[in-house]
Amino acid sequence: MRRPRPEPHSLVGAYALDAITGADRARFERHLATCQACAGELRGLREATAGLAEAVAASPPAEVIDRTLAASARTRQLPAVDRAPAWRAFLRVHRARARWVPAPKRAWRPAPRRLALGLAVVFLAAAAASGAVALSAEHHLGTARLSDHAIAEVLNAPDAVLLTSRVTAGGTATVVMSRRDRALVFTTAGLPALSAGRYYQLWLMGPAGDRPAGVLPAPDRGMTSLVIATGVTAGDWVGLTVEPAPPARHRTSKPILMLSLAA
Amino acid sequence: MREAGPRQVPGTAAGQTRHADLEALIGAVARGDQAAFEAVCARAGSAVFGVVRTVVRDPSQVEEVCQEVLLDVWRAASRFEPGKGSAMAWVTTIAHRRAVDRVRSEHRSAERQLRAASHQVAYDEVTETVETRLDRERVRRCLRSLTSLQRESVTLAYYGGYTMREIAALLAVPEGTVKTRMRDGLIRLRDCLGAR
Repeated sequence: MRRPRPEPHSLVGAYALDAITGADRARFERHLATCQACAGELRGLREATAGLAEAVAASPPAEVIDRTLAASARTRQLPAVDRAPAWRAFLRVHRARARWVPAPKRAWRPAPRRLALGLAVVFLAAAAASGAVALSAEHHLGTARLSDHAIAEVLNAPDAVLLTSRVTAGGTATVVMSRRDRALVFTTAGLPALSAGRYYQLWLMGPAGDRPAGVLPAPDRGMTSLVIATGVTAGDWVGLTVEPAPPARHRTSKPILMLSLAA
Repeated sequence: MREAGPRQVPGTAAGQTRHADLEALIGAVARGDQAAFEAVCARAGSAVFGVVRTVVRDPSQVEEVCQEVLLDVWRAASRFEPGKGSAMAWVTTIAHRRAVDRVRSEHRSAERQLRAASHQVAYDEVTETVETRLDRERVRRCLRSLTSLQRESVTLAYYGGYTMREIAALLAVPEGTVKTRMRDGLIRLRDCLGAR
């Protein structure tokens, strides 16, 4: 018999106690990312668990502290990022989108694309929730990588804009760009699978020439996880090609996507 | 015990002061301040060590996990958000997560099932060896104000490192019941401990 799936919010206590694992934990975290009430409640419950911790406090052996201090001197710290958790970036993108929709004359955003834009936000948010962005409101440790912080920074940028376009080979590409950071975050959905030894290669193309901007990771359930491209300059386009082997210095095929970054 | 950083001052405002200090110290750690990190270890190290020791048990692993947790605090200090809960909650959350991850990857089922029965005893025994803390007696009094099912659900999860599913099996009650008791128990505990 199948276990009924519990309603996520009510798992807040079990989550605060680290008593749910795997899929349940992931599902609660996805819910948490969109539920301010849960985050508020969790905050309070964490104070209760801190009390439980203090109730069993015991001095660690001095050697443990000595070893820790010595190790810290050799351990790089994570750089500071915009403190908003990644999920909030998506809300901000939502809000930004709401601001642009009435704004006229943006060549890359004709009216019929609004729906696609909305969908793109949804799937970007899903990409984040599925762990493509390994940051969360819960300060996940150990999984955070430098690129994730850079990605979070772009997504959190006050000037972040979201662009989306069809890929001629099939599928959709979505870009969140920050002019301030001169960087963009790129993801796709529904690109055709490639034969072995061939890769999707991202490019920045423009007055400064064509620059390779990374190879797309293998898709997971049809979506590629977020990649970041930096050094975006005025007049650039984002291009996507299929290349025989990475890392390509020069493109060998016609782009299957050309997306103008000019507003 | 190291004499790094100021010692906590007994008295009514001590709890408040101690937590406020820890927040400021973690802010300094985020800027790479080694002395501040030493003070954080002095201030929060015993809560970390206590949680890890209680959950992990195996003495050969406790020190290693404790060190990992404190290094996490060093590495991730810039991620601490003062507006989102106390520094102690942030640190102990890291400690607990690491501790349960360790026990879950190490021992499965049999040994842990055996331990469950003796768990409450072990918890008492652990607290006897603890250094004097202002909060300890209050927490224990608050724990006693929970219903027995709330208390068992909360302590088996927090101190025993058991999952909701395991606790439901151990206590022979539905998972949904354990889930509800955990939440209600923590809410009651939070309210009993009061704003800090």
